[in-house]
Amino acid sequence: MVSEPRSAAANRSVEVLASKLRRRQIVGSRATALETLLVLRQVIAKARFSNLEQLVAIIRDVGRRLVDAQPKEHSVGNTVRKVLHHIREEFHAATRGVEVPKPASFSISKFVLQGQPRKQVAVQKSEAKGTLRENDPDDPDSFARGLKPVLMEAIQDVLDELETVYDNVSKNAKDHIHSDNLGYSHDYASEIILTLGMSKTVEQFLKAAAHVRNYSVIVAETAPSYNGREMAKSLSSSGISTFLVPDSSIFALMSRVNKVILGAHVILANGGMFAVSGSLMAATAARAHSTPVVVCAGQFKLTPLWNLYHEYGALDFGNPSDVLGFENGDLVDKVDVVNPYYDYVQPELIDAYITNELLKETYDDEDNEL
Amino acid sequence: MAAKSANSGKEKLIDEEEEVLQAVILADSFNKRFRPLTTRKPRCLLPICNAPLLDWTFESLALAGVQEVFVICRSHAELVKNAIKESKWSKPGSGMKIVPIMTAKETFSPGDAMRDIYTRGLVTSDFVLVMGDLVSNIRIDEVVRVHKERRRTNKDAIMTMVVKESGVDHRTRAKGESSVFVLDPKTSECLHYEHIQGYPATKSISVPREILTDHPEVDIRNDLLDCSIDVCSVEVPSLFQDNFDYLDIRRDFVHGILTSDILMKNIYCYVAEEGYAARVQDTRSYESISKDILSRWTFPLVPDDNHPGGHIYEHTHGNRYIAKDNTVVLARTCNIGTNTLIGSSTTVSDNASVIASVVGEKCTIGAGSIIRNSYLFENVAIGANCHVEQSIIGAGVQIKEGSRIPKGCLIADGVIIGPNATLEPFERLSVKRNKADIEADEDGDDSDVEEVEASQDSIDRSALGKDSNAIVWPRAPPDEEDEVEGPENYENQRFMRLGDTASDVVLDVSDDGSSSDDEESSSSDDDDFHDRESVSGLSDASMGMSMDMPAISGLMADAEFRTEVTQSLERAFAEGHSVENASVELKTLRMASNVPLRRVKEAVVAAIVEKIVIVDGDAAGQRKEISTVISRWGDLINRIGGVDPVETVSILQAHSAVSTRMSLFGQILAALYQEDIVEEDHIRAWHALPESKGADRKEGPETDNFQKAWMIGSHMIQQFDAQASESEESESEDDTAPPPSKASAASSKQKQPVESSEEGTESGDDTASDSTEGVDGGESESASEDVSASENSSRPVSASTSEDETTGSESEDDGVIVR
Repeated sequence: MVSEPRSAAANRSVEVLASKLRRRQIVGSRATALETLLVLRQVIAKARFSNLEQLVAIIRDVGRRLVDAQPKEHSVGNTVRKVLHHIREEFHAATRGVEVPKPASFSISKFVLQGQPRKQVAVQKSEAKGTLRENDPDDPDSFARGLKPVLMEAIQDVLDELETVYDNVSKNAKDHIHSDNLGYSHDYASEIILTLGMSKTVEQFLKAAAHVRNYSVIVAETAPSYNGREMAKSLSSSGISTFLVPDSSIFALMSRVNKVILGAHVILANGGMFAVSGSLMAATAARAHSTPVVVCAGQFKLTPLWNLYHEYGALDFGNPSDVLGFENGDLVDKVDVVNPYYDYVQPELIDAYITNELLKETYDDEDNEL
Repeated sequence: MAAKSANSGKEKLIDEEEEVLQAVILADSFNKRFRPLTTRKPRCLLPICNAPLLDWTFESLALAGVQEVFVICRSHAELVKNAIKESKWSKPGSGMKIVPIMTAKETFSPGDAMRDIYTRGLVTSDFVLVMGDLVSNIRIDEVVRVHKERRRTNKDAIMTMVVKESGVDHRTRAKGESSVFVLDPKTSECLHYEHIQGYPATKSISVPREILTDHPEVDIRNDLLDCSIDVCSVEVPSLFQDNFDYLDIRRDFVHGILTSDILMKNIYCYVAEEGYAARVQDTRSYESISKDILSRWTFPLVPDDNHPGGHIYEHTHGNRYIAKDNTVVLARTCNIGTNTLIGSSTTVSDNASVIASVVGEKCTIGAGSIIRNSYLFENVAIGANCHVEQSIIGAGVQIKEGSRIPKGCLIADGVIIGPNATLEPFERLSVKRNKADIEADEDGDDSDVEEVEASQDSIDRSALGKDSNAIVWPRAPPDEEDEVEGPENYENQRFMRLGDTASDVVLDVSDDGSSSDDEESSSSDDDDFHDRESVSGLSDASMGMSMDMPAISGLMADAEFRTEVTQSLERAFAEGHSVENASVELKTLRMASNVPLRRVKEAVVAAIVEKIVIVDGDAAGQRKEISTVISRWGDLINRIGGVDPVETVSILQAHSAVSTRMSLFGQILAALYQEDIVEEDHIRAWHALPESKGADRKEGPETDNFQKAWMIGSHMIQQFDAQASESEESESEDDTAPPPSKASAASSKQKQPVESSEEGTESGDDTASDSTEGVDGGESESASEDVSASENSSRPVSASTSEDETTGSESEDDGVIVR
């Protein structure tokens, strides 16, 4: 309770974010991940703790409140898990140097992480080494004082990663989209890509590929949000040959499509995903035509969770007024309108995920349930 | 410690803002539509979808970033205060500072509450005014922004009302009480507001002519849902203070401000494109808003996402919401229908069905029972094999096995009925108050409960079951004298009642139409009616057959007014009042009844003519009698205002035509001429008027008389002509008044119908032509032309004085001379 006055502001910022999430004033995986990260940074900066458990408990508590506020935005939980992972990593690094914290957890991701330029952290680590003691009776704050700077660095890294996620996903775009369809005549010279919805990741991915490749994109309108139109406008304005088609024609056009590229809302532990409604139809049509389905998504969309009932519910139902205007008063009482935001796309319908980082070891298993 | 620090943080945040966004919630309904559910708690604490209405209102405001909320509590104020104290909104971090204001018990209307806000000086800047039963996800902050921007250029834009397009027949649009908004489509300024009522049915509305002339384009909209969210400037409460008779915010304030010639304030509408907002203003809208919430029209304000009560529900397909805390017990064989909400710790037994209903927390539904379209508050126990249909069941109610609750029942907290009870549709039950309740209740407005309790002996309670503790509220409509006026009358309440289609009410209206529109008669009369814009084009059949009803009421009011005038004059004649006093009395009468001047004049002329005693067989005596009366009282015609001798002659003609004193027309006219009340020119002008010939009138003795009178006029004019030419030769037949003798002869002998019917094709008389000019709403521009084309016969009351000025311009000098 000693920490109350200082943490009040942090506590308040958690509440504010929670109610914003609940009221859907912040939507979208990346925006929620960013906001969560900023709140966590504030919480850590203000938090008072004298050992690791206390710090983890504080973060978990915040995480739980945020996740409960909006369980449908998985990137909130993912961000919390990621931060917890970093906390442990930095703690182990600080207390025991570069010694591998957990036995038998050698992984490529760690190798990659440590290969990244983090010179300053390394310096601080060596400074902190030895002086960092948990539960120091003389100076209970010394632990926090020692650990906080490195944690701030780590959170900054996660922030940077979020900010560069589009670039990193798009880095290899040219390897996935081809100008030539070997074996066909010149009419078929360029590849035809089908996408739907307005995913920033997919947009950047396609634009990146357009620098080196010549190809066409078919964009489905994606009712009822119709933000496929926005996507089509954006793509064509950067010089990509773009066709905007109604959703109903997806199956009919699939025979001409070389690749389906989709965005994701969240990628589940079983390899399935939630994506804008219409994705399931596109993926199924692609399967019928043996067209490959590629999903572009930032690493923060990967969640360690899944459950058995995804197929029975599209998870999130929005406002029926997108489908049937409220002003159609006489109809409102006579029909039930459902407006699912997302489709669950089974793992067997997806051929490849393209993301910005390698997978395992971004979260610790013990954090799966916050 | 924690709370304190958080509070200081909150206050600091408020201080940082340039301007705190304030809101005022009127947490009292000021009506009794939810009785008996509201005998023990205020409406704003009734749950809808398992969260108190007030919490939904707070959430609606929190969404908009409102920082300070004043809750005006009246009935059960302590309960409201405690509820606020214990709600999550009082916890640190809610971002809202909520201040309950206990207003006096004598606050009987929203207007009184506004005056209280003024006297307490609560608001300091533009504020949001809502009722305590609002469910909304509209971005009110956006409305506030638009309002403030407008205020920057127009200081008279005092209010912005949020409305939502919904169509006429939307379930959420109140049928008993709705509104027609006349908007300027470009600025969305609200130019005119009319309250629409289910019963007595509002069949037409009147739009002042100036609106149509000043605005090239107007929208007359009967498809808007009034969300009762008003962004008010700080002077709105003071306007209520200045106008102590404003009771209702819409019917009195908005209508009053817009029709006022003095205030010159503007009110705007904000037609919300996105978002949902509606008020639980009666039991019918309670149902429709529950349905709207369950079918997610209020998204993201839905049970599984942002439940204001903080409950967590699992949303499964078909809009079924089950509390997520694993406390709900659903039997394997039970049936949960679509659009259903089930609160935590509730048990639904075998073979029970819950369809399109809301079940509160800790309820039990017995085996084989069927709950359909019903709303159960917490702790309700329903026995086996019960049927509950379209009803609201209060907290802690026990319905024992085998009972039947048909549609429209309201069962208040704590009632026990059954076993095997069978209720009437629309039954209302509550428990008898015990002594402690009565003592604790100092409200004083529970007289109706007492009455209900007193009347129990005469009611057969056997249908309620042997264990029942319920008292039955009156089923039949109240006695005539108890009937309240305005929207709270019994028949209109039926439009607001859960499950009531009120289809028979509409039929009743056509049965006794004349008695049904006392409201209109006060504001309308013959002339006024023709300026009304029938909104039939916009609404639909329900407003289609609007034309004749107000006409009847207009005539009624007219007849009433006429007898008033006659009585007043009879007294003046009998008691020998001075002309001044009599005219003052008439002017007052005219103001009180709000009738156009012409009506007064007609009544006065009629009274004077009837005052003349008929002297048989003595022409000289008759002439003397006439001149006595006219010289004594004739001046009164011009004293009542708006001197227009031509009109006077027309009126005299019209009256004479139906009077037994027809034969005196010529003599009376001559006497008026003698008294300088009418001049030669006026008689000529009258004579020249096409309608004076009366050619278009229907055949009959009256028309004959009418035409005779015109003929008399012709003779008089001939004599004038003759006089003019002969005057130099100083040849005179009769130096006082040439026409009378001949005129009386003419009235009895001369008949020239052929000639006049040939000439009089141009136009009809003034009453018959009116009916063609009722302007159909819709095409506003053409409407305005129509109105201006029909100069004389149709003119709104407000314009009638100016009419007198313009048409009387040529005679204004005369008027001065007469005075």
